[in-house]
Amino acid sequence: MKSKRVAKPWFFVIFVLILALSYCAFFGISDYHGDTKKVYIKGADDIRWGIDIRGGVEAVFSPDKEGVEITNDDMQSAKAMLETRLVNQNITDYEVEVSNANHQVIVRFPWAADESNFDAQGAIEELGATAKLSFYLGSDNSGEAFMDGAVVKKADYTYDTQNNYGYIVTLKLNSEGKEAFAKATSEAAQSGQSISIYMDSTNISTASCSEAITGGEAIIHGNFTEESAKALADKINAGSLPFALTVDNSKLQIVSPSLGSDALDVMLIAGAIAFAFVCILMIVFYRVNGVVAAFALLGQLAGSIACISGFFPGASSFTLTIPGIAGIILSIGVGVDCNVIAAERIKDEFRKGKTIDGAIDSGFKNSLSAIIDGNVTIVIVSIVLMGAFGTPDSFLAKVFSPIMSIFGTSITGSIYSFGYTLLVGVIFNLIMGVLASKYMLKSVSQFKFLRNPAFYGGKKNG
Amino acid sequence: MANKTIDSKKILKLTLIVYAAIFVIGLVMTFVLGPKLDINFSGGTRITYSYSGDVKEADFKDAVKSVIKDDFSVSQNTSFAGDTKTFAINLAGKKSLSTEKQKSITEKLTEKFKDNSFEIYDSTSVSASVAGNFFAKSLVAVLITAALVVIYVGIRFKNIGGVSAALTALCALVLDLLVTFFICVIFRLPIDSNYMAVVLTILGYSLNDTIVVYDRVREIKKYNPQLPINDNMNQSIAGVIKRNIMTSITTIGAVITIVVVSEMFGLTSLRSFAIPMAFGLLSGCFSSLFIAGPLWVKYREFKDAKKTN
Repeated sequence: MKSKRVAKPWFFVIFVLILALSYCAFFGISDYHGDTKKVYIKGADDIRWGIDIRGGVEAVFSPDKEGVEITNDDMQSAKAMLETRLVNQNITDYEVEVSNANHQVIVRFPWAADESNFDAQGAIEELGATAKLSFYLGSDNSGEAFMDGAVVKKADYTYDTQNNYGYIVTLKLNSEGKEAFAKATSEAAQSGQSISIYMDSTNISTASCSEAITGGEAIIHGNFTEESAKALADKINAGSLPFALTVDNSKLQIVSPSLGSDALDVMLIAGAIAFAFVCILMIVFYRVNGVVAAFALLGQLAGSIACISGFFPGASSFTLTIPGIAGIILSIGVGVDCNVIAAERIKDEFRKGKTIDGAIDSGFKNSLSAIIDGNVTIVIVSIVLMGAFGTPDSFLAKVFSPIMSIFGTSITGSIYSFGYTLLVGVIFNLIMGVLASKYMLKSVSQFKFLRNPAFYGGKKNG
Repeated sequence: MANKTIDSKKILKLTLIVYAAIFVIGLVMTFVLGPKLDINFSGGTRITYSYSGDVKEADFKDAVKSVIKDDFSVSQNTSFAGDTKTFAINLAGKKSLSTEKQKSITEKLTEKFKDNSFEIYDSTSVSASVAGNFFAKSLVAVLITAALVVIYVGIRFKNIGGVSAALTALCALVLDLLVTFFICVIFRLPIDSNYMAVVLTILGYSLNDTIVVYDRVREIKKYNPQLPINDNMNQSIAGVIKRNIMTSITTIGAVITIVVVSEMFGLTSLRSFAIPMAFGLLSGCFSSLFIAGPLWVKYREFKDAKKTN
């Protein structure tokens, strides 16, 4: 078997790429203009840590009970709605408790005081909003609403170039809504009135219409940014609450981390030491292969961190919780395994009397099927978990919805977070552990001073 | 290679005895003491005390421990405006605290922390935030995963009878998960969200371990199709055992490092994460070699014997 050689510089190219990725992922790139920090690439500092690790906010919601009978079912649906909204805001780590006896919903979610870009009070208000969408004929809500949010099949947001509206929210209506909307718009077109759309008691759009709209699609335009358009679409999709929730401001609390104070700092130190331990072990047992493996693992870890922090400004950061960290640990474990399998295979090949190039080549080749099958199995696990425990309108959730819908919408963000970190970890393992390791090892083995089988687990030369 | 003499079937018996022992101890303890459920899973009572000044969480915990015997957890909170500081005592399960008990806690606290003016702030019962619905959903998610894994392994390992291989892999997985549960019961660790993370991790790890073994069986079969399945398995186990040991030493070592470092810094809450995790990883490594493999061989031999009859 003739093996293809890999040129020497490849090692340095991959090495520099991994170091650059790691530096950016851990430290980020930002500079200061006066007092304002401008973030070009988000570092590990920008990760939102879960309530278990860094503490958070506790808010007690109670329904506006005026004249309304509140059942335990209502409380449960309020809980489900709050959970959907939390996940929509990328807060995957939360605790929602219902107290049926005194009609309270207690919500806890992560937040730290030094996090200036996160508006906790605003987030809480947003959570409690009824989010009832109403459509009125005329420029205010003085008349009777001709339809409400229940007729919206799906809300989405997009950038409008046709009318230069900027970001808009599009609404797909069901047949009932289509009819009502057509009727109202034709009426408005005739009388020269406008159509107003209200979210709770706030006017979010008033537009005149020149002709009847019969296609069953409505748009909302106003001064939306991409973020606010997405937030509104998410809110409409999540549906409206059966009643308004008010926050008892006197019970708004800052919660200490459930793992204990200083949990974050200690865990970072522990994680760094454990990672160093893994690298040292790999290098001691597998020499050059181990050094290459250590870099591949560093690259894999950096890739995972980048996917969690959002990396690019604008991309939202993922909340990292204990299950999320478990996902990283498992993917690093799988990464170690991948390198161990390859290294052991290379040793086997030396035993069969192969040369350095031959051993490395067939070692990687023989280990590939085990690595791929193991990794794909783990990908299956992570995808099912993300689908089963993610937001109801995500793609994966739709795939599983025929089965999962019998349970109603229950979202468990921490499991979703595990699935996510595991999935990105395994993908980076395939890039780093399979591809980068192979090219680094092949190119490094071309250096004269490293051309000794003993460095790769074989017998000494001569 | 001296370890070619591994006889997987002999080891199967020994392994089953070890697992049986863990399960018997675990089951007995489950029924006698019961698993420790976290308030998120079981619901329970929460009593909140307000105070002023500075009080360490550990000191507060010690004071409460001297009054109530049951397991409880404590969380420390500050009101948004920063004017009210509270400690909450969480009691999981149906145990509620009598007014006398609450009174004696208050007395103990005022006695121990004279200057901090401890007072009962709130006392409320909470429903489980993680409800039965969640467990049903988890079960279905696990079943879907299992079905997809059986399909995938069935296709990829067709030439060695993939479906039966996948099923024995799942048997090994179930044993690993039971081990983590019983370890929690035996070590009196709470079943909380940390434990959930452990279950998920072992789910992926155990399957991966078993697949590496089957991959070797598939490879040996390709080059030596006539080799009896039992010999093939023994050779395969001998071939991958070093990899299994190395990966296990590294991952378990890393998990132990995390818990040791955390404990050195006084962070004890990672115990319920790291201890069942370490045992689960160990069991995952062990069961893929000595449960899934031999069990599958037994099944195949049984099937073959039936065919020849």
